[in-house]
Amino acid sequence: MPSRRRALLKVIILGDSGVGKTSLMNQYVNKKFSNQYKATIGADFLTKEVHFEDRLFTLQIWDTAGQERFQSLGVAFYRGADCCVLVYDVNVMKSFDNLNNWREEFLIQASPTDPENFPFVVIGNKTDVDGGNSRVVSEKKARAWCASKGNIPYFETSAKEGTNVEEAFQIIAKNALKNGEEEEIYLPDTIDVGSSSQQRSTGCEC
Amino acid sequence: MKGSFSVPGDYIYFKSQVPLHKIPIGSKQWRYYDFGPKHVPPLICLPGIAGTADVYYKQIMSLSNKGYRVISVDIPRVWNHHEWIQAFEKFLDAIDVHHIHLYGTSLGGFLAQLFAQHRPRRVRSLVLSNTFLETSNFSAAMPWAPIVGWTPAFLLKRYVLTGIRDGPHEPFIADSLDFVVAQVETLSKDDLASRLSLTVDSASVGPLRLSDSLITIMDTNDFCAIPQQLKDQVTERYPGARQANLKNGGDFPFLSRPDEVNLHLQLHLRRVGVEAQPDLVQGFRQDGAGGSSSDQNDEREDERRDYTGTRNENEPPLALESPCVGNFENQILSNVDLSSDQ
Ligand SMILES: Nc1nc2c(ncn2[C@@H]2O[C@H](COP(=O)(O)OP(=O)(O)O)[C@@H](O)[C@H]2O)c(=O)[nH]1
Ligand SMILES: [Mg+2]
Repeated sequence: MPSRRRALLKVIILGDSGVGKTSLMNQYVNKKFSNQYKATIGADFLTKEVHFEDRLFTLQIWDTAGQERFQSLGVAFYRGADCCVLVYDVNVMKSFDNLNNWREEFLIQASPTDPENFPFVVIGNKTDVDGGNSRVVSEKKARAWCASKGNIPYFETSAKEGTNVEEAFQIIAKNALKNGEEEEIYLPDTIDVGSSSQQRSTGCEC
Repeated sequence: MKGSFSVPGDYIYFKSQVPLHKIPIGSKQWRYYDFGPKHVPPLICLPGIAGTADVYYKQIMSLSNKGYRVISVDIPRVWNHHEWIQAFEKFLDAIDVHHIHLYGTSLGGFLAQLFAQHRPRRVRSLVLSNTFLETSNFSAAMPWAPIVGWTPAFLLKRYVLTGIRDGPHEPFIADSLDFVVAQVETLSKDDLASRLSLTVDSASVGPLRLSDSLITIMDTNDFCAIPQQLKDQVTERYPGARQANLKNGGDFPFLSRPDEVNLHLQLHLRRVGVEAQPDLVQGFRQDGAGGSSSDQNDEREDERRDYTGTRNENEPPLALESPCVGNFENQILSNVDLSSDQ
């Protein structure tokens, strides 16, 4: 086998509308930022090739529109996620308070095999706004919440200035990869259908 | 012939709702489904060597319900690639469709690219899944191609299924395989022979006039009968294409991972500017009972009935469920729950 298929890692970004999910993704994948607010319609994704420990991976990063009810996106969106990124705006308390809901909803919808150890990453975005003066959620408070949920890695970013975005996604990719590899070891319950269908296909006239 | 294969409930429902068309066009017999609002530019699904129009029934049901027009065809009995291009063009003329979006899997993806190359004005976008750019690999593997017309059907059937990984599989992939095998059983010897001829007829895809940005590649990342290096050639040929790969799903993700495939198809159609007409959804009635929709008048009546239905005004374009479909989509969603492969 000359060419080996490249591992695909699926990452899902969740958080309230306007916190900067789309901006973070664009900053990371395209190195671009726009001040214009453009509501994400439904769901969309971007892909990025990442190198990690001499291997090449494809990150498939899914973005959602926060104003939508989760259910409307359906399970397809969540299926096979390897890492979930929870984003809030450090200048908006409510977006922080909602992190718990987003986390719970993710666990319900994606129903990962091992919810306790499923990799999340939390991002507090928009640290640049007003030079940090309009900030309402302290780093301490955010870290305390992350610690209480099984030591979720925490990053503070500015999608606008590109601060810490690369770093956050490195950890996202790393944790997704760890999850993806554990998944590969798992073998689903097997049903020996292939061989019987093969027989069926041969024993026929027409 | 059916053996222990039990026909899926949603397929029975599909058959009761969506008329199958069979028409002769020129010297070719066409067998196809065509469902959804007639003035929306259609997504036409082209199956692989081991497929029929029916293998896309889950796409037809879901996407037509979202206001897209979906057509799926049997590859007609053509024996080489020129004949394919001409026959397909005549088919489009006959059903009065001008601009199309093609979703081709395996051999279907190859035929889609050839058509896009030779009839660039008609093809507006491509979704390519587990496919290839040239046939040389296949002809090398089939030195008996010249006598394909003399080969017994049972051997041909076995041959069109080669490369498809034999069990054990997780249940949804196993079911998709069963479905396809049952479809292959319905093919005649000549159908099989012509498809095999198409696969080995020496041809390769030349440069497309279509921009890469109008192409989505949707490969499955676990396994499939098309060798990885052939799939890689497709990815390399269209570097600007959208990569919408699925982590798994095997050879027939449209059957084994329908919700993910449907989501990617919707995203693709939205990206290339196809506007769905959810207001004109051709009816899948809530109760699933009642007369046949194969009659034109009936269909129109269904449309009217569904306008007033329970459709949510603010339904986002990518909502995966819709109250209109009732049992059918519920079934998909419950399938999805079960199939989460962790
Ligand atoms: N100042 C500043 N504005 C940001 C930042 N990230 C996003 N924005 C702006 O916040 C608004 C909402 O961002 P968007 O990415 O669309 O949020 P989403 O709804 O979570 O996808 C847009 O106007 C962005 O330009 C940031 O880090 N700093
Ligand atoms: Mg957004």
